[in-house]
Amino acid sequence: MNGAVPTTIIVVGLALAAYALLTTARNRRVGLGLLVVIGVLEILLLVLVGLIVARLAGGGRPTGMVMLVGYLIAMPLVPVIAGFWGAMERSRWGPAVYAVAGLAAAILMVRLHEIWAVIHV
Amino acid sequence: MSEPEASSETVTPPESTKTGPGRLLVAVYGLFALSACARAGTQIATEFSRAPVAYVLSAIAGVVYIVATVTLVNGSRTARRIAALSCSVELAGVLAVGTWSVLDKASFPDATVWSTYGVGYGFVPLVLPVFGLLWLRRWSKRDRTSPAIVPAAPVAGEVVGDGEDGSRAGTPSVDSRRTSGL
Repeated sequence: MNGAVPTTIIVVGLALAAYALLTTARNRRVGLGLLVVIGVLEILLLVLVGLIVARLAGGGRPTGMVMLVGYLIAMPLVPVIAGFWGAMERSRWGPAVYAVAGLAAAILMVRLHEIWAVIHV
Repeated sequence: MSEPEASSETVTPPESTKTGPGRLLVAVYGLFALSACARAGTQIATEFSRAPVAYVLSAIAGVVYIVATVTLVNGSRTARRIAALSCSVELAGVLAVGTWSVLDKASFPDATVWSTYGVGYGFVPLVLPVFGLLWLRRWSKRDRTSPAIVPAAPVAGEVVGDGEDGSRAGTPSVDSRRTSGL
């Protein structure tokens, strides 16, 4: 169960990146579709933060504790900041920002696994 | 799909360094500023003695990324100069640290953003300053051409008579002489 959320985040992140790049290629700006996908990504990241906090509360301790806390704070900020930054742009480059956020979320999951292998990917 | 057509603004060049392709540049710079600083911050705070060289270099990279992000968002003439400088420092840094980390592996028991030319970050640190400098070049070009375009049709008496800016009054005559000489 624990590995399901990070795996889903990787899938959704990569799907967002692909969808966003397609939108950029078609010379469209950010629309409802992309907002929904980045919203789903945000919810998934918040769920993951909740799961990790629950594990920490249960007594689990990773070696890189400071790094993990940094990830817990930074991870949910990525789709929010990218979401606003990309939506403000009225050209094809707005979706390109969403693509970066999707890829970043997927990469963050891999790095998170390196910090604390308890979180299976 | 529901994406609306991009507005016609895409056809004309964007009016600031943070719109158009600059929007993407700022996003990537911001991401790298965050990751490089977070990485350096935690490493220096928790295990500085293990690889001091690598961690200090990570911190420097983080600061350079912050400066680039902020100046690209600001976009004034001075900010663009600082942005170009930080992109250059970045490019020099990634090449120097990349080479150094390949030749002297002992100094880098732990990786920095710029180790092996940014291999841990998909070589983005190597490509990013190049795109940054290309993007900023547009404006430096515009800066150079615009003073010649603005006073394109000066009414000599009026411009000279305007005491507000004497140096500007002199430029059109220089320009017209130069063009007539061609």
